[in-house]
Amino acid sequence: MGALYDKLRQDIRFVEGLTACLNCGTCTAICPAAEFYNYQPRKLVDILQTRDDEKILELLKGDTIWYCGECMSCVTRCPRNNAPGLLITALRSLSQELGYFVESEKGRQQLAIKRTVGHWILEYGYCLYPSQITPENHPEQGPIWEWEFQNLEKVMERLGANYQKAGPGVLRAIPQEDLDEIKKIFDETGGTARFEKIESFSRQKAEEMGIQLDDGLQNDYIKHIYTAVNKDHTTEP
Amino acid sequence: MKPEGKRLVWNEYQKEIANDNYFYVRSCVRQNFFPGAEKTFLRYMKDMGRNVFENPSHTTCSGIGYHSDIVPFETAMTMVARQFALMSEAGYENFVTSCITSFGLYSEVLETWEHFPAVEEKIRGHLRNATGREFVKPKNLAHASDVTFKLRKDISKAGKYRLINHITGNSIRVVEHIGCHYSRMFPNKGVGGAEYPYVLIGMIDEWGGEVIDYPERRHCCGFGFRQYLVKANRGYSVSSSKKKFDSMKPYKPELILTNCPGCPMFLDRWQYAISEMEGTTYGENGQGIPVMTYEELAGLILGYDPWDLGLQVHQVPVEPLLEKMGIPYDPAKKFLDINGNSMGKPKPPSAMKFY
Amino acid sequence: MEHSVIVIGGGVSGMTAAGMLAQQGFNVTLLEKEAETGGHAARWDRLFPDRKKASEVLDFIRKGMSRVKVITGITVVNITRNDKEFTVVTRGQVADGGSQMADIPHPASCILLATGYELFEARKKEEYGYGIYNNVITSAELEDKFRSGSPILTSEGKPPARIGIVHCVGSRDEKVGNLYCSKVCCVTGVKQAIELKEMYPASEVFNFYMDLRMFDRHFEELYYEAQQKWGVSFIRGRLSECAENPDGSIIVKTEDTLTGKPLKMTVDLLVLLTGFVPGRGMASISAMLGLTTGADGFTNSADSHTLNNSTEIPGIFLAGAVKGPVSISESIADARAAAIQIEVYLNSDKPGND
Repeated sequence: MGALYDKLRQDIRFVEGLTACLNCGTCTAICPAAEFYNYQPRKLVDILQTRDDEKILELLKGDTIWYCGECMSCVTRCPRNNAPGLLITALRSLSQELGYFVESEKGRQQLAIKRTVGHWILEYGYCLYPSQITPENHPEQGPIWEWEFQNLEKVMERLGANYQKAGPGVLRAIPQEDLDEIKKIFDETGGTARFEKIESFSRQKAEEMGIQLDDGLQNDYIKHIYTAVNKDHTTEP
Repeated sequence: MKPEGKRLVWNEYQKEIANDNYFYVRSCVRQNFFPGAEKTFLRYMKDMGRNVFENPSHTTCSGIGYHSDIVPFETAMTMVARQFALMSEAGYENFVTSCITSFGLYSEVLETWEHFPAVEEKIRGHLRNATGREFVKPKNLAHASDVTFKLRKDISKAGKYRLINHITGNSIRVVEHIGCHYSRMFPNKGVGGAEYPYVLIGMIDEWGGEVIDYPERRHCCGFGFRQYLVKANRGYSVSSSKKKFDSMKPYKPELILTNCPGCPMFLDRWQYAISEMEGTTYGENGQGIPVMTYEELAGLILGYDPWDLGLQVHQVPVEPLLEKMGIPYDPAKKFLDINGNSMGKPKPPSAMKFY
Repeated sequence: MEHSVIVIGGGVSGMTAAGMLAQQGFNVTLLEKEAETGGHAARWDRLFPDRKKASEVLDFIRKGMSRVKVITGITVVNITRNDKEFTVVTRGQVADGGSQMADIPHPASCILLATGYELFEARKKEEYGYGIYNNVITSAELEDKFRSGSPILTSEGKPPARIGIVHCVGSRDEKVGNLYCSKVCCVTGVKQAIELKEMYPASEVFNFYMDLRMFDRHFEELYYEAQQKWGVSFIRGRLSECAENPDGSIIVKTEDTLTGKPLKMTVDLLVLLTGFVPGRGMASISAMLGLTTGADGFTNSADSHTLNNSTEIPGIFLAGAVKGPVSISESIADARAAAIQIEVYLNSDKPGND
């Protein structure tokens, strides 16, 4: 049992999520990630219960921990009351805290999420913001969204939203003092520190990889991590 | 299949749902993609004589950020605490969420504080330091679909339409889809539990529809948070939805009803994407299967105008269902703005019938 | 006064102990809540490992019971202690009294609790669809079918071409509140797999297991036979969920943990090996007597090694499945051990368990 395992134990979700695994496989049986990726939550939990720091380091640096969709189907089924989905959240947190996330193709994607969802939380008070969900990044949203995107204010008005305006309602403008409170919460609770770590480790990695990264979304590194699938994530090695 | 077997399960998972005076918090996804739905919820709650209060200072719970792991747990817990503070400051004790991921997060946080009171104290400290606010935990936590479930009979009574094909007299065949974060982690927090949730079935039963069960009913729609947010991962998301569509198709559903805000977005859009990629459609005659949320369906039952509900911003057209149910709609008004002026029209998909 | 013994529970262990004590000259009364004695064993067709008929074993036991006074169809409503003597009050229908009930006190110098167990209610494992999907049955129901002698058919009236047998239903499962292993289900699953193959040699039989607890003599050989002679497939993966196809067949989802891949397959018939749970009646009896139960809900003996038929209360003894999952052959041995200790206790005229 080593330093990494101890660090994981400091995360309540790890404590809640790992009792003892008897390798029954009920989690892997219904896991969507196990269907589509080379991923078995059972194997992950079995590795964690070895408490072996070398194996945990491998997990923190690898793609494996990023396949889960956090649907929590595993939690419903486990006969030992383990929660692989919660263990994933603890591993992902630690991987970002220690900077190992940039070592894997899927892990590197965290910067893209931070610069979209993360920024929108602080700037608008919403996890998603319609003017930022560009059809270019979301072709699957279809021509309906393309049309909506082009007519955003009018569509919002038609559907009774209070888009970008004061007062209650759909997609209202959240008052700046409330957004300031959110920022203070992030500062106070390690959220800002997390964002900064995602940034700094990513910048280091981008330099290492020789890919251009500055602010915003219109740069090579962001485009790369947003779209790159250069590894085979679906068949067993 | 013996439906009475499911009834036995439902009886074991009764849930306390407050009757009135709700503090309402909105959903990021629903506001973005189904802006009419929350307005509809507030409208019928008012029509049913209920008080639903919204504090405009409320924000996202950060659930999507939390489940994409960019937001640490302590931050998410403090965001939740702030929402609770707004509730208790406004003098409310019944908390209602529009989003299912939110509902799951609030439940998870409350459970965590139950098991680890020291953590609750820590979060109180964080909230105080950051904002000066204090909070009281809600007496009752429910999802807006729970509340709608509770009011389903009143909605039925006041309703003008039913989930019935007005030409054939047959019940509309409905697949119900429950958001993962509703009851998977805490089955006793969902109406009907985790295996056979009843919250939407109750509405479908009451409003005259026929519930379709199918093998992949429980399968996640595939949002997967980071599995959708990042383009490189979307294979996971579309494959999950496709698995469900393939499984439900033989049962010929005419409507997919959901309670989570994300699920209908995926079940709607991925039908489009699959039709573009493969040419496959899952409804009748080259159509998709219409997808709705409970607010939209309740609104239809109550006779609200389909274009007020926001059905025009669905990629899979809902018109076939409206026609079956005998609900009048004006096709000419579908894409008009609030003043009745044109906003242009979306391009039709290449492989799916569009209206 | 001649020493009298009351045995509560007319299953394998209760009947064995009662018969033996009566033959040793004691005045024995056996109380049974059902209309007939025999317990769960009366429901089984053939027993592991040698496949003898359960009725043979019960006949043997019953032959030794000629001197036992057997009272059936009653419940125990009160047990009181006065120094070294006990009174057990039973409640039952008055003979020819219609629905009228009467309470009858029975004095005893000691009591043997042989109240046995109950089977886990399969419907509580909701995701397996018992009581919802027609082709999901329990192992006990399969035994009923074997005993009936008629061919086993799906709910659509066809012989099953592919059968799944699910281990650990209601056992080793914190989700339903039973952490313990029920011990005998694994060998039952192997036995039933062989029996199904005997009935339908062309069928495919799959056992979904986590571990194979072949704990007693000849069990491992039975597992070998199931594989080598009958071609039963053993998949190491616990069943995660079931669904139903339009034709009534059952889709099962599991992981084949030996290959590490999720597995989805269709079976025509699914048999759930439901485990042991403590008998409900024991809760009130334990309360009346001040007995302790373990975290698993089964009753504790004074010591699991050295005093496994005694309790903390002089004169109260235990035998059989009241203490937890146990096989029939073990129950018989345990009942005889209890009988000997009761004899020692009664002959010594002082508490036998100090």
